[in-house]
Amino acid sequence: MSQPRSGAVVALALFALVGTVFAAVSTADFIAFLDRQVHSVTCSFVPGLGAPDTTGTSGCHAVLMSPYSAVFRASTWGGIPISLAALSVFAYLLFRAADLLARRAAGDPDDTRFLVAATLLPVLVSLAYFAIALLRVGSLCKLCVGIYVASVGVFVSALAAHRGAARGAPARPFPWARYAVAFVEGVVFVAVPVVLYLALKPAYTGAMANCGDLIHPEDRYGVRVPLGGPPGGVPAIEVLDPLCPACKAFAQRLAASGLGERLDTQAVLFPLDKECNWMVGESLHPGSCAVSEAVLCAGPAAPDVLQWAFANQDELRAIGKDTKQVYDRIRQAFPDIGGCLGRPGVRARLNRSLRWVVANALPVQTPQLFVRGQKVCEEDTDLGLDFVLSRLIDRPQGGGRTGR
Amino acid sequence: MQQGKLHLALFLAVLVVLSGTVAWWVRAAASRLAEQQAGAAGQATAVASASDEGYCTGPLKQILRRVLTSCGLIKGGAQRGCQPVQARNVAAMSGDDFNALFLPLANRAAIIQFDQDSAELGSRATALLDKAFADQRGASYFLVVSRASTEGPLAYNRELSRKRAEAVLDHIRSKFADPDLDQEVGLLWLGAEYAQLDKEFCTWQRSRPEEACTSAFLNRSAFIAWIDCRL
Repeated sequence: MSQPRSGAVVALALFALVGTVFAAVSTADFIAFLDRQVHSVTCSFVPGLGAPDTTGTSGCHAVLMSPYSAVFRASTWGGIPISLAALSVFAYLLFRAADLLARRAAGDPDDTRFLVAATLLPVLVSLAYFAIALLRVGSLCKLCVGIYVASVGVFVSALAAHRGAARGAPARPFPWARYAVAFVEGVVFVAVPVVLYLALKPAYTGAMANCGDLIHPEDRYGVRVPLGGPPGGVPAIEVLDPLCPACKAFAQRLAASGLGERLDTQAVLFPLDKECNWMVGESLHPGSCAVSEAVLCAGPAAPDVLQWAFANQDELRAIGKDTKQVYDRIRQAFPDIGGCLGRPGVRARLNRSLRWVVANALPVQTPQLFVRGQKVCEEDTDLGLDFVLSRLIDRPQGGGRTGR
Repeated sequence: MQQGKLHLALFLAVLVVLSGTVAWWVRAAASRLAEQQAGAAGQATAVASASDEGYCTGPLKQILRRVLTSCGLIKGGAQRGCQPVQARNVAAMSGDDFNALFLPLANRAAIIQFDQDSAELGSRATALLDKAFADQRGASYFLVVSRASTEGPLAYNRELSRKRAEAVLDHIRSKFADPDLDQEVGLLWLGAEYAQLDKEFCTWQRSRPEEACTSAFLNRSAFIAWIDCRL
């Protein structure tokens, strides 16, 4: 074995270690959410040094909460994190590199050829996830970038190791039996942690699913705003604030899950803005009373106004303390509803929307989703959304069904 | 053979560390969840409710409840509206004390003014009424307290103030299709014999602010206000 040959394998081992660390931090962050509480998320190129994201505004949080962070989400609460598979793969590559170095086999072209094939997997997955992060999620996560770099690093190192090992080596048949054993070892590295994860993760009990029903779901005031849905869709009511970032993120998660298309959703506007909402001492989302009026004024175009409000939340909240300025911005975007804004009729309707929330004794928070009158628990509106929603949609009525 | 053992040892070592770490994370999450479920219900989130402002003191609520019950506002009442004698009896207080009850509502109330000997709402009166009624916020009850100036006989003024209160209610009913109207709006008509408004109320929001604020002009009116109290 020559020194340059083992150098490439050492590099591979280091990149695999880096990938293991990034994937481990990402997996630990994901698994922490299995306790159904709110946690900060690590988001740093040097895990452990950067300040964790406690506000949920980082790209890491967006990616972690996106439907792409886990698979089989409808089958098990939260799904199986994709980072767990990444952790297993990098740990496996670390094992293989360490094994080659320990056995002084870094110059064996049969082994290095397998390394090239094995490291191709994280490269391909990283490419796919990089594209998803950019095109679907719309933000990059620093931990993921670390994994992408490690993936490219292990692949390039494996290529270099193989080129060095194959140089001058006599041609010989592929050792398929050895490759099969190595492949099975890789499968075991992925399967064992996944099986343990599934076996040990908290069970989803009926009690967890019980977050209450609507006491007075009837719409006596005509305040519910249809958001569209398929004919015969499952009836759903979403209590929302058009300028609430959590409502926007929830709408995105719902859309990405594909389950939103099966719901016939009506919105009840609940702006957390003291301009019209006496239940909040401070305006959490200034300007949302004015924007809520716009949604009510829009009639059949209400979903368009809501989408526009979601897309321009930051700007609208920034000018939100000046209601006239918000009205002007709305009139600019939707001239047809300009005359309705601020009128006593629409203000009274918005007030009744708030009173609908009072009549149902709902918590002062947004968003809140009710499917067939049953509330989707706040803890189930992110990682557990697909799991819980698919059960509520497929079940006609009644309490929670258990599962993991 | 030696290399095979080394390979197996490494394989098992890395796999055990990996699996053990994952198991530890998951168990930790599960035990946090169990602790949380076994413990208190966690942080309580405020529940949506009607307003209950600081001025809603115990004595004020007691008087309001008495007035509102006797005047047919609260569910189960057999009538709508209170006549002067009833108002005086249920409030069990002098006219000045009765008016003083409403002083904390200075920013919420409005005075809808009428022509002499008329119960017709003008355009400015309806505009102010619409604005005041639309500004319900978290209030549960809307009071209409109508009066007449002292010109004319007692019985005539009682009747005139009743018509003024009902004109306000009719307008609200036609303008705002509120299904809860009967549980929200309370009427008191006081004629000219009880709790006449004095000049202290001249600074309040009126439908005719340009008009001289004499006692006669001020009392040809319906005083309207949302009451931010939970009873």
